[in-house]
Amino acid sequence: MSMLDSLAAGLALVGNLEAFLALAGGIAIGVIGGAIPGMSATMAVALTLPFTFAMQPITGILLLLGVYKGGIFGGSIPAILIKTPGTPASSATVLDGYPMAERGEAGRALGMSLWASCTADLVSNLALILVAGWLASFALSFGPPEFFTLILFSLTIIAGVSGDSLLRGALSAMLGLLLATVGLDLVYGTNRFTFGDPSLMGGLNFIAVLIGLFAIPEVLAMVWHPTGHLGKARKLGHNRVTLADYRRSFVSILRGSFIGVFLGSIPGIGAAPSAFLAYSEARRKSPNRANFGKGEIEGVAAAEAGNNGVAGATLIPLLALGVPGDVITAIIIGAFMVHGLQPGPMMFIMNVDIIYGLFLGLLISSVFLLIIGSVAIRGFRYVADVPRRLLVPVVLILCIYGVYAVNNNVFDVGVMFAMGWVGFLMMRCHVPAAPFLIAFILGPLLEDNFRQAMLMSGSDPSILVRGPITWFFWALTVITVVAILRSGLKSRRDAAPSGTPDPSPRS
Amino acid sequence: MNNRQTQTRLGLGAVIFSLLLAGLAIPRWVSSPSNVPNIVLSPLFWPYVLAGLTGLTGLGLLASRAFQDDDPTPINPPIDDPRRGALRLAGMALLMVVAMGLMSWLGMVWTCMGLLLATALLVRTRHPRAAMICAVAAPLLLYAFFAHVAGVAIPQGQLVRLP
Repeated sequence: MSMLDSLAAGLALVGNLEAFLALAGGIAIGVIGGAIPGMSATMAVALTLPFTFAMQPITGILLLLGVYKGGIFGGSIPAILIKTPGTPASSATVLDGYPMAERGEAGRALGMSLWASCTADLVSNLALILVAGWLASFALSFGPPEFFTLILFSLTIIAGVSGDSLLRGALSAMLGLLLATVGLDLVYGTNRFTFGDPSLMGGLNFIAVLIGLFAIPEVLAMVWHPTGHLGKARKLGHNRVTLADYRRSFVSILRGSFIGVFLGSIPGIGAAPSAFLAYSEARRKSPNRANFGKGEIEGVAAAEAGNNGVAGATLIPLLALGVPGDVITAIIIGAFMVHGLQPGPMMFIMNVDIIYGLFLGLLISSVFLLIIGSVAIRGFRYVADVPRRLLVPVVLILCIYGVYAVNNNVFDVGVMFAMGWVGFLMMRCHVPAAPFLIAFILGPLLEDNFRQAMLMSGSDPSILVRGPITWFFWALTVITVVAILRSGLKSRRDAAPSGTPDPSPRS
Repeated sequence: MNNRQTQTRLGLGAVIFSLLLAGLAIPRWVSSPSNVPNIVLSPLFWPYVLAGLTGLTGLGLLASRAFQDDDPTPINPPIDDPRRGALRLAGMALLMVVAMGLMSWLGMVWTCMGLLLATALLVRTRHPRAAMICAVAAPLLLYAFFAHVAGVAIPQGQLVRLP
């Protein structure tokens, strides 16, 4: 079957009202699910899965993919409006999105988030269609040593989100790495900081830590100083994203999209590290780097491009190899199986019409996301106009339900409260929370891959430099660390002649 | 507390924390089998590495004070009455503890109603009626969604059970 025949067969599958409605409905469900803190895109996809059983395979899978894409974008709405990422992937969006909302530019931040999301989504879908095979074979050659070096490199992004003091960022990251060690040891199954409590054996729930660290400190800050927000602009105004904003951020959006595509095509990395890496790279390259973390629209664009760039790319290993790239694609693989489909190389031969139908559906989804996202922004953004002393207690309750719903476990609510106090103390001491979260996500991956590599080699460390991929990531890590040190020294030198020493140098 | 004082306290805190980890917490609460062939494979290895790095970061924070001026400006904006602020925080901590304790007995919905109202009063809302309406409506709506749409088993409690 030629490519044109395959395209025609795919078009015949998706060129009907049912498929379009499934895609649009899925995106709407996803945006709503993603916009509810603690619900997450994963939960929205999992909840939608049973509804697809009675549908045609292509319709059901398009519905789930719509939920996935809508969910990743939807997470940015509460991240910008109430500093509570709806999904872990939107954590990086908080860094600049929320300060923009505080300044009364929530509409502009949300608009940029949508445009960046749609652009990255389109890039990601095109990448899936054009280079699926090549990228999948590249990802297949990653073993534990390659993953270890990749994650080590990813940890250098902490420098980009540490704010004024790199050392405080490093301290935050150490705490995150330490907290990630809680639970059963994955190699020997022994206890680590579980204190004999079975609830701790599986480690701390990521959503509880995330919401505790980002949302609860806001509640506590409000309790500490209930009138602190008065006088601060927090209205949405009529600020909309302009073409000039989009053009100015376009390079960051494209870079973030490609980072998302690359990391998304590697199983197990996920959207959150991609968003942080895209944000960090944008900060490094931007002429406005000093504004990052204070409400820079390019930061919102980069973070959203980074996390949405992953959405299409995670389907590369799924479709080409039958390997799920993340939790959501693991759920989606279940939908394939329910319909008697086995994703993998044979699917490109046996069910090529479905493959091309999915490709076409994904391309259309970017347009649907733009339309439905615009409507959702109009609907959700009025959350910002609710009096804060009314909104904050409601957010607290929303967090409790959201965190509980992840595992049906009240213990997680306690973890969220405890992390809230940790986050509040960090906020008061100006220790950034983002490095904590990145380290908490990447810590277990780093340790597991390191130990697996050591097991593979009989504890011979030379396995960590075993081939071109590891050399590439080691070189990137060294270059990044040198660049960070040089930048720190330069900022100190720049501060010295003015006679006003930097009060918080990047030391 | 100015920037330099904060840096000092963070540095000291990190050093003390790393010593506590290495000397007390890791030996007591991280178990390792006796037949681990190599130290790098031991469950103890990673926590010790992290404890060491935390200590080094703390020392770095202490050392970096030398490069900072002694600007007396506090790093956080002052509030009118810090004592009341501290009392409110203590009240919030108590509310959280009470909410955790009550959740299994009273149920999540009723506990959240009380918690929402108490938090709204604690932050001195200017809209007490709206807060009351939210306190009743928000937990009920969330219950309806999570219990009946998402299929989550929301804790019901011993007193009043919701459909």
